[in-house]
Amino acid sequence: MKEKREAEIVRRVLLGDVQAFGALVREYQSPVYNLMFRMVGDKEKAADLAQDAFTRAYERLDSFKPGRRFFPWLYSVSLNIARDWLRANGRDRHVFVEDAAVLVREEDRADDRDALHDRMDGAKAFDIVMRLDAKYREALVLRYRYDFTMAEIAETLGTSLSGAKMRISRGLDMVRRKFDGGIL
Amino acid sequence: MTEERKRIYTEGEIMLAIRTAPDKDVPDGFAERVMAGLEPRRPSPWRRLRLWLVRPRVMTFRPLTVIPAVTLAVALLALAVIKTDTPGEDPGVRLATVRFVLRDADMHARQVAVIGSFNNWRAERSVMWYNRKEGAWVLEAKLPPGDHEYLFLVNGRELVPDPGAPMTRDDGFGNKNSIMFVNGDNEQAL
Repeated sequence: MKEKREAEIVRRVLLGDVQAFGALVREYQSPVYNLMFRMVGDKEKAADLAQDAFTRAYERLDSFKPGRRFFPWLYSVSLNIARDWLRANGRDRHVFVEDAAVLVREEDRADDRDALHDRMDGAKAFDIVMRLDAKYREALVLRYRYDFTMAEIAETLGTSLSGAKMRISRGLDMVRRKFDGGIL
Repeated sequence: MTEERKRIYTEGEIMLAIRTAPDKDVPDGFAERVMAGLEPRRPSPWRRLRLWLVRPRVMTFRPLTVIPAVTLAVALLALAVIKTDTPGEDPGVRLATVRFVLRDADMHARQVAVIGSFNNWRAERSVMWYNRKEGAWVLEAKLPPGDHEYLFLVNGRELVPDPGAPMTRDDGFGNKNSIMFVNGDNEQAL
């Protein structure tokens, strides 16, 4: 069970085995780096902030409760790092990334017309999600990309359960309206 | 296409887009860079003791101690089952367990959800999982007695009636919805 394995890694790190932390870094480096990229829209800064997030997680590992999933806790730490940076740099709202169409990798492209149509629509939908205010965007990403429970989303985003549900529902509504309206 | 169907298509599209959008690649050597910046911890003796106490342990039992314990546990379990089965409790509305199955032997679909009158036609509430042994997308749900209209939403775009449904109903716009009959005896009527 993943929670048990991660609890054991955390215990070893707390006992002084710093290298054990590497397993957690390798496991979660992609979602943390991608979170930072969504927040700041710059590769180098995203890498710096992702490193800061893992460093802070390491320093505050005492506060992680064994038996719970490590990822939501790490995500929460990472979001705080991103928020602090955005606040310090006067960019606490409306952070955009490049056009989602370029996120479709070349090797994923297919000749099939339907598949291409799917992907174009998917890229459009994803692009709209990326342009949402971070509080709605991250709620949708946590729910549909990382399969967080509503309780985990609420805790990670520092809101109530009903607040988390509201963000998902409102986020979907906003994307749907822009999607239907052909905003892009 | 009805407004409701348009909404379902779009919602499935959004969910699928979020789930399948490719990640940005992490820069090379990122994990090594993180690890190089970390200082080893030096836990106090007290902390060491606490962590030692909460460490995972392998439990071993001798038959002489296990047999009476298992006997007692079985007796308590049997008592609990008898108590649960005692009639007289008001069950209220009895929900029945139903199983939705969509055959897809080679897993052509990337994502399938059940949408219907019971979940307000919202795909996010009933995403199916792929059972490799059965070669099918599967979802179990608890539904109240009555008949329920539903469809499968494949890849967030395609609405597919259940090929195994005993009945379909016209939705008034030329499309067919599948019907699931649920009786009150905790099983679906087919």
